[in-house]
Amino acid sequence: MRDYLRLETRRTLRDPGFVVGGIAMPVLMYLLFTNLGDGDSGGWKTGAMVGMAAYGAVGTALNTGGGVAEDRAIGWLRQLRVTPMPPHQVVVGRALTASVTVLPAIAAVLAAGGLLNGVRLDAWQWAALALLLWLGSVPFTLLGLGNGYRLTGQTTGVANMVANLALAVLGGLWFPLALFPEWLRAVSAYTPTNRFAELGTSVATGHAPPPGAIFVLTAWLLAFGAYAVLSYRRGAGND
Amino acid sequence: MPPNEPTTTAPATTTTPPRPAPAPATHRTAPAVSLAGAAKAYGAVRAVDGVDLEIARGETVALLGRNGAGKSTAIALLLGLCPPDQGAVELFGGPPDRAVRAGLVGAMLQEARAVPRVTVGELVAFVAGRYPAPMPVEQALELAGIAELAGRRVDRLSGGQTQRVRFAVALTGNPDLLVLDEPTAALDVEARHTFWKSMRAYARRGSTVLFSTHYLEEAEAHADRILVVDRGRIVADGTGDELRRAAGGSRVSFDLAGRPAEGLTLLPGVRALEVRGDRALLRTEDSDATVVALAELGAVRGLEVAPASLDDAFLALTAAEATTAEGETAR
Repeated sequence: MRDYLRLETRRTLRDPGFVVGGIAMPVLMYLLFTNLGDGDSGGWKTGAMVGMAAYGAVGTALNTGGGVAEDRAIGWLRQLRVTPMPPHQVVVGRALTASVTVLPAIAAVLAAGGLLNGVRLDAWQWAALALLLWLGSVPFTLLGLGNGYRLTGQTTGVANMVANLALAVLGGLWFPLALFPEWLRAVSAYTPTNRFAELGTSVATGHAPPPGAIFVLTAWLLAFGAYAVLSYRRGAGND
Repeated sequence: MPPNEPTTTAPATTTTPPRPAPAPATHRTAPAVSLAGAAKAYGAVRAVDGVDLEIARGETVALLGRNGAGKSTAIALLLGLCPPDQGAVELFGGPPDRAVRAGLVGAMLQEARAVPRVTVGELVAFVAGRYPAPMPVEQALELAGIAELAGRRVDRLSGGQTQRVRFAVALTGNPDLLVLDEPTAALDVEARHTFWKSMRAYARRGSTVLFSTHYLEEAEAHADRILVVDRGRIVADGTGDELRRAAGGSRVSFDLAGRPAEGLTLLPGVRALEVRGDRALLRTEDSDATVVALAELGAVRGLEVAPASLDDAFLALTAAEATTAEGETAR
């Protein structure tokens, strides 16, 4: 299992798409959004940091599904099935790979906030922030895996990109919710991305994560988890 | 559907271990591969249509057939990649996935492409690490003829090199059963030669090898036994010579010189007659008897006896079976 995790993590880190889309993009967007308007409020720098770290984490987590679709297409998953490695280890190994590769995406944006944008938080806040963003990315990994096991390589890429952009914008990861009309803000409260970011912002402002956020995220975790299981059952026989 | 031979099942019941063991006790005695009435359909297409076969340990067997004859589906069935709709599939006396889990099987699958963003050495070492008693990675690369590619990325190799990487992946676990689906498809002549040399070296260690091919010469040159597959069935099973004999071993031809061709099919040994212009071509199982009979008739002008080619045999076997079902199998 550890070998598989190492192999797949290596493969992900060597993917230019991952390095650019999952790490460089969120950092650049964060620096751009917070420094363009000569923003005076430190609050926005912190909020945007959490939002962009969340955005990077969501993108990276979804990207795992793209890897699965690719592995199905080239016959790698089939090849693994004729080795002694049990099939469930392959699935779990993939999910764990996502949870490893999501870390550099989170760390890069937090580092940009702390080192370049002068965001000041207590040590426990940094730690709790990273941890919550890490744990909170699990539902998105499951969504990505669900797409990867169900769809072909190309459609998975498109589906993940659409999901990523839609969830990021709707959830307020790119722009503050205050800019949204009232009704859209109401919708946003039910998106997993909005609640995911809320985990982070609550800690960054020194509060515990609100129960509502945990409740909504857990609901999405179960929904995406069921989706991933169903997709896996459907796709595994044919790949 | 013929019944299973009793020897395949008897030891399993007498030596059942107290808890599930990775390698079953029958592992040493049961045939490496056993299919009984196995069938698999995709929609209306009967890809594998009732196959019975047994491959003993240590045999090297070719699955010979046209594209679409059912070779790959048969291989998917015996590797446990898909369950049969009907019939039974066993490897080493147990279900295929048990043999796979125990590390008894290595396979080179047909549609597989290069695994991206990983080096040859990393990939082969990873697969080797899944098996209980793998061979050293260097040895696997050496056998596959790609020792110098260890540090290269798999997705930056040529088609032939990728194919040899897949061969290394199949054999690095040191499996008792090596299954190769169209192993030489993308190889040039020289690489092909090297490949078969490695395959034979591996087979000599006592391993069972099953490979599929649509090249007759490869099947005859590199297998102890050829299974001819057509339309999802095994239509012949034997050595190249046995297949030739089964299909009508030789070709006897002579000038008719105005003589009528009627009655020639009744001569001893003759299985088929073809008339080309003034020349009669007889396919015969027993060329000596046919020639003696022709001599008695005085029909010897321009007489020639030639062995039937394996191509002839293959065409005869795969064409005839469409109408005459399974009555003509060689063994």
